[in-house]
Amino acid sequence: MADSPEKRGLLGRLWNAIWTPAVMFSSGFLILAGFLAGILFWGGFHWTLELTNTEEFCVSCHTMETNLGEYRETIHYNNRSGSRAICSDCHVPDEWNHKIKAKIMAVKDVYHELAGTISTPEKYEDHRLAMASAVWKKMKASDSRECRNCHNFDYMDFTVQETRAASEHQRAIDSGMTCIDCHQGIAHSLPPNYLEEYQKVSEAIEGEVLQEHAAATGDDIRDFLNNSSK
Amino acid sequence: MLEILGTIGGNILSLPGILGLALGMMTRKLWLGAALGGAVGVFEPLVFAGFRFAHVEPLDLIIAVVVGVCAGSLGTAIRIKGATA
Repeated sequence: MADSPEKRGLLGRLWNAIWTPAVMFSSGFLILAGFLAGILFWGGFHWTLELTNTEEFCVSCHTMETNLGEYRETIHYNNRSGSRAICSDCHVPDEWNHKIKAKIMAVKDVYHELAGTISTPEKYEDHRLAMASAVWKKMKASDSRECRNCHNFDYMDFTVQETRAASEHQRAIDSGMTCIDCHQGIAHSLPPNYLEEYQKVSEAIEGEVLQEHAAATGDDIRDFLNNSSK
Repeated sequence: MLEILGTIGGNILSLPGILGLALGMMTRKLWLGAALGGAVGVFEPLVFAGFRFAHVEPLDLIIAVVVGVCAGSLGTAIRIKGATA
C-alpha cells in the first residue's frame, strides 16, 4: 500500500504533484504557460549555445593559444574587407543536428585541456598531425560543408580571380574535388608529412586511390597559395 | 564512440527527440507512439540529406529511428501516467 501524503518526503510529494492531473489550472492556462516556458527555455538554451560559438569562448582555454596565434596570421583573421571567419565558422556546422553533435563531441576538448594533453609547445607539435588529420577527415567527409557556408563555386567570378586560381577552381569543379583537398593549412600551420597523412585520410574516405592524382597536382596549388600569402 | 554519442545527443535535441516525444504524448497506444517517433526518425535524416535517400548515412538513420522510437514511447508513457481520462 502506498504511503499517505503526510508520510512522503519532499521528493515524494513533488513527484506526486508532477504526475497528478491538474485540478487547479485550466487547460488553456497550462498550454499557454507551457508555450511561454518553452520559448524561455529554448531561447535561453540557444543563446547559451551561441555563446559557446564566440571566439572569446574558444580561446579561453590555455591550449588554444598556439592555434590562435597561427590563425591571426592568416587572411581569415585579417583582410582588406574586414570580414572575418572565427573558430566556429570553420569548426562548428550551421545545421542544428550537426551542430549539436559537434558540441557534444567537443567535450573531449575540455578533457584534454584538463589532462594537459597539448599543454606545452612540444606536446602540441607531437599531436599536431593527429589533430589536423581529425579535422581533415571531418571536412573531407562533409564535402567541406563549413567552407561552403561562405564560399560557393556557383558564385565565384573566375574572371576576377588570378589565372592560376581560376583554372584550379575550374579543375576542382570538373573533377569533383572539395575545398580541403587543396586548402589544408589555410588557418593553421601544417605539420611535417601532412601530405602523406592527407592522402591516407582521403583514401580512407573515398575507399580508392582516386586522390593520388589530386594530391600530386595539389602541390602546385599549395606552392601558389603559400607564395601568394608571403 | 564519441561520434555515436554526439549523434545520439543531436537526435535527442532534434526532431526525433522533441517531435517524437510530442507525437507520443498524443496517444495512449504504445505501439502507435513508438511508430510515430520512428517515422520522425526516418524523416529527419532525409531532410538533412536534401531528400536524397542515397545521401543518408546508415548509422545516422539507425540512431535517429532508435531515438525516435524511444522518445515516442516515452511520450506515450507520459500520457498514460499523467492523465486520468
